[in-house]
Amino acid sequence: MLSRIAYILRETWAGLRRNLTLTVAALLTVVATLSLLGFSLLIQGSVGNLLVKWRSGVQVIVFMSPDATQDQIDAVDRLLTNDPSVKSKVFIDKPAALEEFKRLFPDSPELYTLVGTQGMPTSFKVTPTEADDATIARITAQLNRQPNVLSVQSAREVVAFVRTLSDFFRVATIVGSGVLMIASVALIWNTIRTGMFARRREIEVMKLVGATNWFIRWPFVVEGIVQGLIGGLLACGITALGNTLWKRKVVQSALFSDFRLLQATSGQFRTACIWMLAVGIVAGAVASATAATRFLDV
Amino acid sequence: MIKLENVTKVYNGDVTAVRDANFDIPKSEFVFLVGPSGSGKSTLLRLMNRQELPERGTVWVSGTALSALPKHRVPLFRRGIGSIFQDYKLLGNKTVFENVAFALEVIGKPKHVIRQQVPAILELVGLAGKEDRFPHQLSGGEQQRVSIARAFVNRPPILLADEPTGNLDPGTSEGIMRLLDRINKTGTTVVMATHDTKIVNMMRRRVVELDRGFIVRDQARGVYE
Repeated sequence: MLSRIAYILRETWAGLRRNLTLTVAALLTVVATLSLLGFSLLIQGSVGNLLVKWRSGVQVIVFMSPDATQDQIDAVDRLLTNDPSVKSKVFIDKPAALEEFKRLFPDSPELYTLVGTQGMPTSFKVTPTEADDATIARITAQLNRQPNVLSVQSAREVVAFVRTLSDFFRVATIVGSGVLMIASVALIWNTIRTGMFARRREIEVMKLVGATNWFIRWPFVVEGIVQGLIGGLLACGITALGNTLWKRKVVQSALFSDFRLLQATSGQFRTACIWMLAVGIVAGAVASATAATRFLDV
Repeated sequence: MIKLENVTKVYNGDVTAVRDANFDIPKSEFVFLVGPSGSGKSTLLRLMNRQELPERGTVWVSGTALSALPKHRVPLFRRGIGSIFQDYKLLGNKTVFENVAFALEVIGKPKHVIRQQVPAILELVGLAGKEDRFPHQLSGGEQQRVSIARAFVNRPPILLADEPTGNLDPGTSEGIMRLLDRINKTGTTVVMATHDTKIVNMMRRRVVELDRGFIVRDQARGVYE
């Protein structure tokens, strides 16, 4: 058994070296395929992390016109109080609005001195009981009908936009990695076939002296698996590098603190790596096993 | 040991290589298959180690009907048959020792068995001391001895030889024949296809003659004619 394993490993190594050009070509394609798959998984994870936060804290902000009368403000207040789908509301008066304005734009004092306290719009921060789209849409529509409501804003559009964006990237990366996957399998297949052709005399002798088909196939199958495995490991490295750069260069300098959530957790990275390795190994095994079977008739 | 019953082999649907062949080779016999090129000698050998299956009839080897042998049992079956060829089929990148050891290695024999059996068989075929040579460093006769060593190292009960002296001069051929004769004397059934008149006449063994796929003569202690 031990000598058999030694034989398989020795032949696998010889096979990988014999066909260096083809092996490298197949390997690079595998790395590209799996890296794309890895990035796709990381993007999904990151966007998911961000959306979970946004969806749980979704708020509707009702801005009143600066000219709104107290009666009009009270009308909106009553409306919100009587609405059962409103969990809580906070009124931001003019001085509070100015404070928030100062906090958001600390470097532009000329802006708020120009507008002044009276020019600030008052607003309600509303937290609905349900963060689903229908509830928010209903509340928004209701408030928009009130006089002197300047605008009703919610994170709904932003959430929807981010989700559309992430769906687009996910589909694009998955389609791309699917196409590359076909190329990877074809290249591994071709490497194995060429290897078998180069060793056809040995294979002929092996068949004549009664080596089993699986004994002949194993080194080729292991060769395919090793290509997939090495490809997966390199892809993990590339993805790790991309992930680190993303965190260091983009996320750290994000304008809004929420965007700091737009990154994969280390658990998500590990899962992505496991997927890359598994897909690489399975693709290598399937390609080489079918090639080795196809070109090895008794 | 080997029995053919009404065996017909057709290639590609129209070239009939063997027609309605019947014969019986008992254990330990030495049989020559003779006839001109294309008369069906090689096809008969290929039918005997199940490289080919007949269109009609049955090939029996060691009590097994080969057409009923499942594919996954073929390798095990072939371990009981040694094959020798005109072009030796040695692996040029392996030494004499490695070429013979390869046959044992690929059927899963452990290292200590290989270390013991390979030198013994190389001694038997007269190649002691040439273990580390490569095939291209050997004469044709020596290469054929390596190929015989490889075929016989596992001590199969049957040896099939397809024109083993086809590339050798008469003197060297005689040496090879003496070796095959010795192997036959150990109880191994030997079937040898040849059109080497001198050798057949010299050996005086059973001769099965083929002509365009038909068996036209089956004679104990025959000559080539």
